[in-house]
Amino acid sequence: MSFLAPLFLLGLAALAIPVLVHLTQRERKSVIAFPSLMFLKKIPYESVQKRRIRDWLLLALRLAALALIVAAFSRPFVRGSSVAAAPGGARDIVVLLDRSYSMGYGDSWSRAQRVAADAIASATPADRVSVVLFADSAEVALRSTPDRSRAVAEINAATPGPGATTYGPALKLAGSLLAESMLPRKEVIVVSDFQRSGWQPDDTLRLPGGTVITTAVVEGASGPSLALTPATVLRTRDAGQPERVTVTAGVLNRTAAEATAIPVQLEMDGRIVQTLSVNVAGHASATVTFAPVSIAATITRATVRLGADTPKGVAVQSGVAPAASAIDALARDNVFNFTITPSAPVPVTVVTQGNRDEANLYLMRALAIGEAPRFDTSLQSADALAGDAVNRARLLVLNDVSVSEAAAAKLVTFVEGGGGLLMALGSRASWPSSREAWLPAVVGPAVDRTRGAAAKLSGMDYGHAVFEPFRAPRSGDFSTARFYSYRGLKAAKDATVLARFDTGEPALVEQAIGRGRVVMFASTIDLSWNDLALKPVFLPFVHQLGRHLSGFREQPAYLTIGEVLDITAAEIAAGATTSAAMTNGGRTVLAPSGQRRDLTVNSASSASSTFAPGAAVDRSVALELLEQGFYEIRVAGREAGPMIVAAANVNIAESNLDRMDPKELVAGVTGNGAAGSTGAQDVLPDKAQELAQRVWWYLLFAGILLLIAETVVAQRLSRAAR
Amino acid sequence: MSVHQPIPGARFVDPAVLARIGNLEMVAKTVVDGLINGTHRSPFFGASVDFAEHRGYVAGDDIRRMDWRVYARTDKYYIKEFEADSNSNFNVLLDVSKSMSFGEKISKLDYAKTLAACLTYLANQQRDRVGVVTFDEDVVDHVPPSAKHLDVVLHTLDRARAEKPGHLVAPIKRLAEHFGRRGIIVVISDFYAEPEEVFDAVGLLRFRGNDVVLFHVLDPQEVDFSFVEPSSFEDLESGDQIPVVPAALADQYRSLVTAHIEALTTRASQQRIDYMLLNTSQPLDYALFRFLSMRERMARTR
Repeated sequence: MSFLAPLFLLGLAALAIPVLVHLTQRERKSVIAFPSLMFLKKIPYESVQKRRIRDWLLLALRLAALALIVAAFSRPFVRGSSVAAAPGGARDIVVLLDRSYSMGYGDSWSRAQRVAADAIASATPADRVSVVLFADSAEVALRSTPDRSRAVAEINAATPGPGATTYGPALKLAGSLLAESMLPRKEVIVVSDFQRSGWQPDDTLRLPGGTVITTAVVEGASGPSLALTPATVLRTRDAGQPERVTVTAGVLNRTAAEATAIPVQLEMDGRIVQTLSVNVAGHASATVTFAPVSIAATITRATVRLGADTPKGVAVQSGVAPAASAIDALARDNVFNFTITPSAPVPVTVVTQGNRDEANLYLMRALAIGEAPRFDTSLQSADALAGDAVNRARLLVLNDVSVSEAAAAKLVTFVEGGGGLLMALGSRASWPSSREAWLPAVVGPAVDRTRGAAAKLSGMDYGHAVFEPFRAPRSGDFSTARFYSYRGLKAAKDATVLARFDTGEPALVEQAIGRGRVVMFASTIDLSWNDLALKPVFLPFVHQLGRHLSGFREQPAYLTIGEVLDITAAEIAAGATTSAAMTNGGRTVLAPSGQRRDLTVNSASSASSTFAPGAAVDRSVALELLEQGFYEIRVAGREAGPMIVAAANVNIAESNLDRMDPKELVAGVTGNGAAGSTGAQDVLPDKAQELAQRVWWYLLFAGILLLIAETVVAQRLSRAAR
Repeated sequence: MSVHQPIPGARFVDPAVLARIGNLEMVAKTVVDGLINGTHRSPFFGASVDFAEHRGYVAGDDIRRMDWRVYARTDKYYIKEFEADSNSNFNVLLDVSKSMSFGEKISKLDYAKTLAACLTYLANQQRDRVGVVTFDEDVVDHVPPSAKHLDVVLHTLDRARAEKPGHLVAPIKRLAEHFGRRGIIVVISDFYAEPEEVFDAVGLLRFRGNDVVLFHVLDPQEVDFSFVEPSSFEDLESGDQIPVVPAALADQYRSLVTAHIEALTTRASQQRIDYMLLNTSQPLDYALFRFLSMRERMARTR
């Protein structure tokens, strides 16, 4: 048995109070004015009445009640742990060290390390120390330990990363660490440059009760601070000429002083292509446009860099900022990496039956116009479905085709392997009844609407990717198209009806099957059964269908550190066919730092190893970008295979060194203004500790009961005395 | 205090009720008239009135004062004149020390003021010269005796306040020198002093030929000591406090008070001084009646 607040035991001195009450105060309840004490003074006052304790029971009750209340306030702790050992209790200290790239400004980092080490050195042997390094995310470098030297070693071993400051995750992690703590005192020490951009007030962010927050502001050196904003790429293509790009970069001056003659250079694949000079006024930005450059057939790694030439093969190779830059004291935001990818067309195969060019005319023309992506369209006869031509495509369009059993089997394999299938249903379209359940809808007989009013499209699912561009008012009117005939469709249970005719019958039905998707259109995509192809919505509609079914996703030229790269989508965008892109094989990732590691499908994403037909399965492979520079990803074991290059840049917001008042952060977390403590000290940290200390409650309750009993006894004794 | 016997015809007036009447003259008149109407025969008549001379009758004289014997002898009308009509001085010495302010229903001072007013009124009715002296540790107010001073005396009594600690000996010794002419001196006090000190002071008055009457005014609580709760008792005059358990001290206190009263009674008797203990819970006319009865009885024996 020990006590959390032993000083309260001094209150046991109060036990003398009832005795004194009995001996003296009990006879002096009030003052009575009396004409003269002449006679009273003649009576010897030193009588036995004053000194004798008459009501022993009353005295015992009062003493016991007081003793119990004092014991309750001293918070007895039943477990004999070290919690009550230190005066005031031991501390559990969590050091939050900001390792964002802005901490690399000047000598900020070394000073931050010193501040953190000093804070750890101030801990007593009974204290426990945790070290958390944070930027975009927070990681525990050292979990609650009394070994201070290890904590200092962790601090000294850490380096600022490329991430941006975000206080939320770090404080949440500190809160969870402290919530597990059994020590009575809790403290969070935040060592940071306190950039305003890193703090987003969050009402749900609260540290455990009684936590003291100490802030240590590390201010960097003063001087110029320039940063590059994301570059834009303008593509131009002349007939017979390779594609050319014009790169425009922005330079941001964060200080009030004007920056003059700042060299800005464009590098491509490690070669310095151009160097320009720019003047930037204080707190302003300027743009630099480089001369158009022809790009190669493969992915080009491009870098815009502030400053003078950099030795070739060192930093340029990976796109990482040089260790020291002559421009300003913060080097990481002086480099901007991006990739220039030659636009890769999506292979589309249109399958038709018979020699009916007019049936494919509108579809082929529409696909040929596409730019993002471009569609590489080929026309095949229905007989070719049994061949390998199907596998080269990422999108297969069956334009009113009667599918044989063998072709159906091929199509099933194609779709389940990740391909997209669009079935336009005319009078000839048919599907083997044995595989009818595989399709999103059962194809019924043709519905003739040539007499009376023609059918219209209605009930579009504007939330779907196909119709999403038409969602806004005046973004395309499908209701103007007249449908004179269509095939009746009965949608499967798992299928999604994207559009219906005004009769309520399905017009466009989709279902994800395996890794691919199938869309069935209840009418033709020529003018034989409807006039949709003549309507303005036809072209974007076809493009959206092609984009959606082929799984095309436009890949950004650059990503920010902390973002996730969808490798599968990137491979598709780079020109790989769906089936090739979604092989089960792993990927090899070469990080900007030169580190090579293998990425397997199962470990890299939430993919499942088996999938059932008709069930949508996400087999994409993802990679979180953690370093500044270029990542190279290729299929494991294939050095010459298709390669993905992803450019990673630091968050430009981090280059803004404007500081916030640390009190704002403290107030945001504690909710009590400028004070550095989270309110109620009496809030118990966890249930276990509360249980261990619950004795005080029983003691207090017993004390109150005794006081009630004392009142009753005192009243009875008083009445008896009268 | 002994239980009084009801007096036939007397109208007893509660002193607490009288205390609420601001006009002392009216109070005194009420009490004294009631008293005299009740007794029909005042012992004051004949006790202090002496024949002075005869004078010739003039129109308007009361024929009841005609001396018929002289008429029988001389065949002339003569009126009898009495010396007592304007000869006696009546002085009230009223203790206004702080201890006199004590009292539950009526303070001792109010009781004493009413008593003094009644006696003064009574004396004035007898055509005595009336005066008053209020004192605490020194003389506070002094109204010399005069037949026309009834209003002044009553006014002085009315504004008397108990504010300072008192001392009996010093002011009375100083006053004794001023009472050169023989008269009646009434001392009204609570006599919180040793009996020796009290009679050292009032003895001076007696030795100069004055008739001295002591009225010892006490509150019932001072006599009975009926307190219950243990308390601190504070001396009204000195401010001293002592803790007191009444239950433990009451008997000893009462015996000391009784002894004090007996000592005063004994010493008064020895020095031929009238002494009367008055309890503020008793009606004033009862006290006056007892006083007059006692004076009559004493006058017969002297």
